[in-house]
Amino acid sequence: MTALVVLVAALPLLGALAPIAGLRARGLGIAVAAGGIGGLAAAVAVAVQVERHGPIRALAGFVYVDSLGAFFALTIALVVTLAGVGSAAYLRVEEERGGLTVLQVRLYAIFFALFAGLMLASLETGNLGLLWVLIEASTLASAVLVGLEAKARSLEAAWKYIIISSFGVTMALVATLFLYYAASPLALSPNQRLTWPALFVHAHLLQHDSLRLAFLLAVIGYGTKVGLAPMHTWLPDAHSEAPSPASAMLSAALLNTGMYAIVRFQAIAIPELGRYTNHVLLVFGFASIVIGALFMVRRGNFKRLFAYSSVEHMGIISVALGFGGVLGIYGALLHTLNHAIGKCVLFLTSGELVQRWRTRESAGIVGALTAAPLVGGVLLLGSLAILGSPPFGLFLSELTIVRAGFRGSSPLAFLLLALLVLAFIAFARTTAAMATGEPGDAGGEAGGKQSVVAAVPLVAGMAALLLLGLWIPGGLNSLIMHSIGAIR
Amino acid sequence: MIAAAVESLSAASTSGVLLDLSAVVMLLCAFAALGSKLFDRYVAYYALQSIVLAFAAAVVGDALGQIDLWVLAVATLLIKGIAIPLATRRFLLDRLELRRDVAVSTGLSTSLIIGAFLTAFAYLAIRPGTLPHALVASAVVPLSTAVILLGGLCMVVRRHTIAQLIGWLILENGVFLGAITLTATFPFIVEAGVFLDLVAAVLIMITFVSGLAERLATAAAPELMELRH
Repeated sequence: MTALVVLVAALPLLGALAPIAGLRARGLGIAVAAGGIGGLAAAVAVAVQVERHGPIRALAGFVYVDSLGAFFALTIALVVTLAGVGSAAYLRVEEERGGLTVLQVRLYAIFFALFAGLMLASLETGNLGLLWVLIEASTLASAVLVGLEAKARSLEAAWKYIIISSFGVTMALVATLFLYYAASPLALSPNQRLTWPALFVHAHLLQHDSLRLAFLLAVIGYGTKVGLAPMHTWLPDAHSEAPSPASAMLSAALLNTGMYAIVRFQAIAIPELGRYTNHVLLVFGFASIVIGALFMVRRGNFKRLFAYSSVEHMGIISVALGFGGVLGIYGALLHTLNHAIGKCVLFLTSGELVQRWRTRESAGIVGALTAAPLVGGVLLLGSLAILGSPPFGLFLSELTIVRAGFRGSSPLAFLLLALLVLAFIAFARTTAAMATGEPGDAGGEAGGKQSVVAAVPLVAGMAALLLLGLWIPGGLNSLIMHSIGAIR
Repeated sequence: MIAAAVESLSAASTSGVLLDLSAVVMLLCAFAALGSKLFDRYVAYYALQSIVLAFAAAVVGDALGQIDLWVLAVATLLIKGIAIPLATRRFLLDRLELRRDVAVSTGLSTSLIIGAFLTAFAYLAIRPGTLPHALVASAVVPLSTAVILLGGLCMVVRRHTIAQLIGWLILENGVFLGAITLTATFPFIVEAGVFLDLVAAVLIMITFVSGLAERLATAAAPELMELRH
């Protein structure tokens, strides 16, 4: 069973080994995509095992997968698969038109695979120190992807990303230290004092002041990774400058990994700190939704638009955790999955748009529906989905979250609704203008044949979103319910 | 057993005094870096601070009889005290011919005064009383907090990428000082991982800075305006 857990993180690493075999873009793309698919299959198997036999533990808690970890691993593995297939398409096009050198293509494959493997590994450890190490390492791997194109702009974005998130993640390390210190009154071995299940059982015995400090620093530190306002400033730059499949990974996988760490800290802090944890998450959540929605109003670079939408959605998830209760946490987890799929599809679409139109400015793209029906269609439907329109999955999860807010009869639920409407208008007016209208001259060049490899993740992602909007599979439902049990 | 050993680190013992002294020197190094305008001074103060940190780790390792802290001390000395300063000097300062840092947003005296306030704040926020069990030489925890805050301040008032890098490294040293004292028994595998991450981060950062410098002639952050629209 432990072998299965190792496979989840190890299979995506295939892509990192492929360059040693001297493969070119085509082979590397296949290796990356195959690694993603293998990782997803292993993640599904692990989730089934955890559902049947309870948490998997090994190596004194260094390997620990419970329902929550399995759920996040499933989400991230799905994103890695979609983005991996997207990468295969991206690498082939870039090599054909000479956009990337052979070295850059190899670096992309190596660091994409490392990024994916490290993130998945971080979800499968019960040791909060190791969690920190793996999250920081995955940040470093992704920074290389952001700066891959090695233009002044992308290097600048990568610098901003690495220095701000290193600062943030160092705060998270201090949080881990204080948590370790808060556990010093407990009769636990040094190792167990960092091990999540042991801390969770003894959570009510932790030292109050240190725990409060640890929780706050963890929200700020890991919140920098999540992109919670006001620590989100690296996010739009990194997302707009990274190659599009890497942007998809940042937005749909990395942010969720940070959120997972916050959830773990919250679960430990609740028994001692109570509603305080919810209030902290509500404050940061609403700040993020407001910032995200306001910056979406500005038209311009559409990858930045998608990035601000990620800030907004991370805010929604944080607010859902802040509302708390079974309904709130259910909504937060379901929204994590839905947003991950939706944003992954949108960023892969943005990659197609950039490769066809050679611009990241939304004003430069008109009539995508006519020029490239599939890409334009996915852009339009994907936007509607990410904005929470029925019949897609995000409608269901946002509805759950708003209901959780009303159940607490909190006026904040109205505020959340109002902000969602604002975000809808801001986002849709840009993407609708890109999809509709007459393509003109630029559109003629942008037409061209639709590559099948590039189309697969777009269609598969949209189908999954539609499915999740209409029907939540029983297995997924029970996985989420058990995850809630692991939190409260 | 460990609880008994930790008592030998209390403020009155020789080890405790040495540890407190190291922490004070580290704080002074952070202040010196904050008050300097020459790039090679930043690097020199960072190197000195790291060597003192290695000494502090050795003191704790000796007092608690923990071998992994000795390993950490040697690694700190070799990597933070020697390798990183050398690499920064060789690959960044010499190659890019950097001498004076002109990209500061706040005057030196102002930033030193802010630094003094931050140090006072660290003492007020982390009073020895808030620490439930007087596990360690109690002055070290507020001192390491002050080093962390000063490192952060360096990153904020300096706009040059290299100055920001050094600021972050100073901050990291503060975290390590806190780590070896507050939680002397931190699992070794985690500490080693933290260390590896640090080395990888510095390598990547040096690559980025030199890549940026080649493209922009100057890698000062205020010149990095392209992404601001």
